[in-house]
Amino acid sequence: MLAIDPVWQADIQQAHFRLLLDAMAYPGRCLNLKKLPKDGTVALTVLSTLLDAEVSLADPHKLLKEDDWQMLQTKSASTDEADYILCDGSQFTNFTPKTGSLKSPEQSATLILVVNKLGEGELKLNLSGPGIQVNQLLSVTGLAGQWLALHEECNISFPLGVDLILIDDTQIAALPRTTRVEIL
Amino acid sequence: MIQRTNWVSALKTLPFNELLTATAELSTDWTLRPKSMPQSGLGMLKIKESAFNEQFYLGEFCLSSAWLEVTTPEGQVAEGAAQVMDDRVELAEALALCDAILSAQLPGWQKISCMVERGLTIRESSNKERKQMLARTQVDFSLLDEANDKVDDHVSN
Repeated sequence: MLAIDPVWQADIQQAHFRLLLDAMAYPGRCLNLKKLPKDGTVALTVLSTLLDAEVSLADPHKLLKEDDWQMLQTKSASTDEADYILCDGSQFTNFTPKTGSLKSPEQSATLILVVNKLGEGELKLNLSGPGIQVNQLLSVTGLAGQWLALHEECNISFPLGVDLILIDDTQIAALPRTTRVEIL
Repeated sequence: MIQRTNWVSALKTLPFNELLTATAELSTDWTLRPKSMPQSGLGMLKIKESAFNEQFYLGEFCLSSAWLEVTTPEGQVAEGAAQVMDDRVELAEALALCDAILSAQLPGWQKISCMVERGLTIRESSNKERKQMLARTQVDFSLLDEANDKVDDHVSN
């Protein structure tokens, strides 16, 4: 009876979850999203897959509408406490995300950055580390360099750290805390 | 007017297909948008045991919920929601739609109102029958005391 946007449907969310696993396993690879939301930010594809009532989200750049919060059924939190943080990649905001603990490094934040374009742009990144055979090149448009500095700073005390998910209009890529990033 | 808190429980007594048909007919030209994802799952019954006063889970029950917004071609907007002990999400959606129709008196609300009244009658009849069944199972322990007194008198004699 109700017309529900495909990004909220279980089969699409499962497909996107698989995509996120692949993105984390192969850092820097740009992977095409299966379905895009009819309304709202493209980040809803990732948020609807990962979030539920057990986790929290911070949206310092107000990319989400009030209706999106109700659909996500997730808790709102500050940037230093949230499990997930959604930001506009072109605007850097200084905050200290949680990086977990030695006993529970997974209790850290995942940053989801909405960028203009993945796979092309002036910002060129040389990636290395687990999941990358030698190196992986990733070009990005609309990503402020300070995010990468924050990524490096938070991940100094590995396994503590944060993971990045980059998303543009049609693709996602991931920079987990194990990935070393060099700006070319 | 029947209180809003009674609408869902009254309508739930009616056949599922009747609810679906009625809501489908009324909402043909309307735009229905979920405010939150309609869900079906299990609720957990928590109860305290009497020895250590600790809570434990007695069991589970089916629970479905829906919250939606209705927009008619004339521009009327209404919200409705329902939580029901049932495993059918479609039922929760239909009940939420009925809630929206009645609360904003959208076109066709009289039909749903009649259904609510009919459902309320069925529920009251069912509650009465349950009370009668419960009354039949009650034991009058005072009669046991009288019987014990008679036995004691007989023994002493």
